[in-house]
Amino acid sequence: MLSVSVYRNLLRLYPALHRERFGEEMIAVFDDRQAETVSRGMITRGIFYIRETAGVVGGAVQEHWRVLAGDSIGLWFPTRRFTMRNEFRFPKTTAVLMMIILAGVVLAIKKGETISSSHVNPPIGPLPPTHSVLLGGIFLTLAFFYAAGLIGWAILFAMRRSGVHRLAATSSK
Amino acid sequence: MESLPLTEPVLLILLSLAEQPRHGYSILKDVEQMSDGRVVLSTGTLYGALRRLLDGEWIERIEEEDTPRGRQAYRLTTRGRKNLQLEVGRMKHLTRLANLRIVVKEA
Repeated sequence: MLSVSVYRNLLRLYPALHRERFGEEMIAVFDDRQAETVSRGMITRGIFYIRETAGVVGGAVQEHWRVLAGDSIGLWFPTRRFTMRNEFRFPKTTAVLMMIILAGVVLAIKKGETISSSHVNPPIGPLPPTHSVLLGGIFLTLAFFYAAGLIGWAILFAMRRSGVHRLAATSSK
Repeated sequence: MESLPLTEPVLLILLSLAEQPRHGYSILKDVEQMSDGRVVLSTGTLYGALRRLLDGEWIERIEEEDTPRGRQAYRLTTRGRKNLQLEVGRMKHLTRLANLRIVVKEA
């Protein structure tokens, strides 16, 4: 089957020793699991392939790291120590953000209604096309954020060059 | 090498092998069943954990001549069983402690 050969190629990401030790077993297990998903829906199969690919890539990184650094030094990302958490997580910040976005949308609708009702007579002169106004707005917003980011970065860069960040480390002896 | 406390997947793998020797696919299915479908291991994750457990001599491969290479079975070693018992004991202690604290708080 095609995906088995793809999986076999993916296993090349692992160090040779790991491949020799577990390669055939991993392919056999993958084949069994894949046969199980054939009768299921496309979403289930998609999740299966994504999970398997992520498992191989993550596992290969860990195995290479082990070869380079040994077992005693862990990776910088969490290694899924025993954790307990709620099945469903809905942070309060998300709720607040959703409320703000909703308020913004409602406000924009109200504002639009006010503007349309105040212009009973058609305005003098040709109106600019809607898409050009929209594109201009998007461009202006992006330009604003880009400029703000650039200014922020310049300030941080200047502070770092001046050595002001080292002041916090100095003592008053 | 694995150290205590164990990760949830490793704990479930050890619990699966505590009952009887199993091969890779059987371990995956048992882990899924034990966790009510909450923990679904990928093949890569499973064999990463099995490699660590083999290196730490917590489990061993059952060498059988007529078994195809893709169907190697694994079983717990004495060390693995002892460590599993330690972990379960630790968890029992935590559960007992948690229950006591909750009862005291509610009383």
